[in-house]
Amino acid sequence: MRRANAQIACGLAFAGNPQHRVQPAAKPKTVAAMPERIPLLKARLLVENGDHVKIGTPLYEDKENTDIVFASPGAGKIKKIVYGPRRVIREIVIQLDDEETAETFTPYPPKELLRLSPGALKEILLKGGVWPVIRDIVYRKVADPAQTPAAVWMATDNQDPFHPPAETWLSSPEDRRFFQTGRQALEILCSRVFFCRCTDFPPLDPEIEKIVTHRISGGYPREDPAVIHYHSKTGPDQNLAWFVSGQDVRLLGEFLESGRFPVRRTVAVSGIPVEGRYVQTRIGTPLDTLAEPGKANGHRWVVGGLFRGYSSVPESHLSLYETALGLIEESGRRELLGFMRPGYNKPTCSRTFLSVFNPSPLPVDADMHGSKRACVNCGNCTRACPVQILPQFTYKCILAGEIEEALSHGMLDCVECGLCSYVCPSKIELCRTFQETKQAYFRQRI
Amino acid sequence: MGWIEKKLRKVFDAPRKHFESGGRLEKLSPLFEAIEDVFFFPAGATKSSPMVRDSLDLKRFMSFVLVALIPPLLFGIFNTGYQSRLAADMSTALLPAFATGLTIVLPIIVVSYTVGLFWELLFAAIRKHPISEGFLVTGLLFPLTLPPTIPLWQVAAGITFGVVIGKEVFGGTGRNLFNPALTARAFVFFAYPAQMSGNSVWVAVQQKAAGSVDAVTGATPLAVTELQAPFNSIAEMLTDQGYTFSTLFFGNYPGSIGGTSAFCCTIGALLLILLGIASYRTVLGTIIGLLATGFLLNWLATPQSPPWFSVSPFYHLAAGGFAFGAAYMATDPVTAPGTDSAKWIYGFFIGALTVLIRVVNPAFPEGVMLAILFMNMFSPLLEYTEIRLRFKKRIPHV
Ligand code: SF4
Ligand code: SF4
Repeated sequence: MRRANAQIACGLAFAGNPQHRVQPAAKPKTVAAMPERIPLLKARLLVENGDHVKIGTPLYEDKENTDIVFASPGAGKIKKIVYGPRRVIREIVIQLDDEETAETFTPYPPKELLRLSPGALKEILLKGGVWPVIRDIVYRKVADPAQTPAAVWMATDNQDPFHPPAETWLSSPEDRRFFQTGRQALEILCSRVFFCRCTDFPPLDPEIEKIVTHRISGGYPREDPAVIHYHSKTGPDQNLAWFVSGQDVRLLGEFLESGRFPVRRTVAVSGIPVEGRYVQTRIGTPLDTLAEPGKANGHRWVVGGLFRGYSSVPESHLSLYETALGLIEESGRRELLGFMRPGYNKPTCSRTFLSVFNPSPLPVDADMHGSKRACVNCGNCTRACPVQILPQFTYKCILAGEIEEALSHGMLDCVECGLCSYVCPSKIELCRTFQETKQAYFRQRI
Repeated sequence: MGWIEKKLRKVFDAPRKHFESGGRLEKLSPLFEAIEDVFFFPAGATKSSPMVRDSLDLKRFMSFVLVALIPPLLFGIFNTGYQSRLAADMSTALLPAFATGLTIVLPIIVVSYTVGLFWELLFAAIRKHPISEGFLVTGLLFPLTLPPTIPLWQVAAGITFGVVIGKEVFGGTGRNLFNPALTARAFVFFAYPAQMSGNSVWVAVQQKAAGSVDAVTGATPLAVTELQAPFNSIAEMLTDQGYTFSTLFFGNYPGSIGGTSAFCCTIGALLLILLGIASYRTVLGTIIGLLATGFLLNWLATPQSPPWFSVSPFYHLAAGGFAFGAAYMATDPVTAPGTDSAKWIYGFFIGALTVLIRVVNPAFPEGVMLAILFMNMFSPLLEYTEIRLRFKKRIPHV
């Protein structure tokens, strides 16, 4: 049940893959909701400091669409609300009760589920605070319930180093039943529900394998739903699509069957200083319950994959969408004559280090490996891009303020995978620029 | 290593305060940083996703171009010494020839780097940006395209023109339209035709008595064939003058310092392509363009047409600075198109124009220089066209 080391599309493998071992975590003292980490969300609080909430109680809503509410991942007293710059709500921390209570909703076992209309189902999901697990493929934000997507993708495999493979959270018959129920619910919302798996991942239960509609091979980010959607859409009417990550499909199913907001999360903890493993914990768990802060001194805490994730601190919590914690070294050591070392151990997508002859997974760190320069038109970013964007030209359009031109370059197809920024020898923040421009474009359009 | 590292650390840490903002030498901080970065690789932490970055940076990228320039450089030094001693009737053994070459070539390179660095630093200080590594390449490429007898002040004037007009007025490395080394070379070529006109490339002669570098004319292969030649006789004429195909290929003849040996340039080009720094598309494109045009002219040649019409295209391949240009100048990523098909076309036209300029316009036997500069001008257009065509295939977001 081991899987190959996470690879990125250029064939590079990173070290630190967790061993396949799922451990249940002890119950944490606090959990938190993190509105800041929901892309493009303007959140409005629905609770105050000191309020008592149950699992599933709405904690905050989307200011622009108040139907979208976010459920509490724990029951207890609101301990503190942490704000970031410009009063963005960073964390809503809940001190957990010993005996947790949950809001209850009407359960919908599969038989009854199938009788629901799309509108009714949407309402149920919105009310239950589980709607936000359905995301828009273009902006990666919460899906707009008023829209009709051309397709919904279920993504069980995530090769961004390092995510828990499907068999870690889809092992029991109950898990699989929930997953199937979740899929049925999605099929009510959209007639085209697709399920893509990586060919080099071990097969799952035959019943699950039966519903797979697409198979792809190749490293990160080939398996990303937005990448697959880009390659399978056939016309502009199909641009709008949604995706749901695998654990969230299961979450939808469990919510519908049990009538309670499910909080289970299986998280991959990886990195050299920790014992890499898969932890069965819950949404919003404090990061220091996943790895020991003392041991990880001088390390960057990356929540989410190393490419898409964000830096965090041990005191922070696991945000709704994330199922990975990676610790990578952040030494800041200036290597003597670093740029002319043969580099048998240096990860690179280029052919300029001896590591091209090194088949083993290579150690990574949170270092830029160089300083920022002007673009030299080397084309590395274009070769890396999974959706045929020409990042260097699109980037220049954006800098020149030619947003229309950037759009015609396919900027909205950018899946924000970060490979272009990864390979750029001039260390240009291409991906961040695209992400910010996409978001600015979205905000300006509405 | 640890000991050296500590000592070196001290060397940089002691004077640092003078270069920081408010310090006495604040203006020189780009220089300080550039030198420090060479010894101690900058280690900045990633701030936004992706949280990991490739180990390749621009310094390494550009350094490999320097590495690829080693074969033509070493051979050029030897050849310069060899030709110079040959003209002065001295022994042409390897080591003395190399030593003589070194005394001629080294000053040229030093002047090119020093003057170039001065301008680079001036602009870096004014613009408050770091010194770009592209300069390391320009500073070495330019001298290698020069004849060994060039007066040093012309080297200084040339590199000044190349760095300032060829690059900095556009905004520095990455924003320049023309290859700065070639711009410098073209400037010298047109501004000081007496020393640079293709009719005679000069062989540096070490005058025993004076010990100074003086010049004696010697015909280069491209000049030899510029004379009125009967139909179909160029190859023989070249051979008569000692320019057999293999001489041309290996480069043991008077010419520019680094550009005579197609063989050394091939090694360099292969290295660059293997490392993924130069694009094989551009290089193959130039070769295909050159051969195609060469064969076309052969086919068109009549006894009335100019003599170069009928020469074997393979001579074009080996002669003059073509190989050097194709390997190191045409592949400069900044001034070449960044898209794949455009690279083929760009290369093809460089090859084709090189032949046409050489054949039709005998005043410019070094056609490759003009061909590349000319195509530099068109590379944005080629890029633009390819990008447009690609968009047609994209599904638009409306
Ligand atoms: S432009 Fe960059 S971030 Fe966007 S899809 Fe292409 S490689 Fe990924
Ligand atoms: S990888 Fe960086 S330097 Fe190279 S073309 Fe892309 S943006 Fe420019």
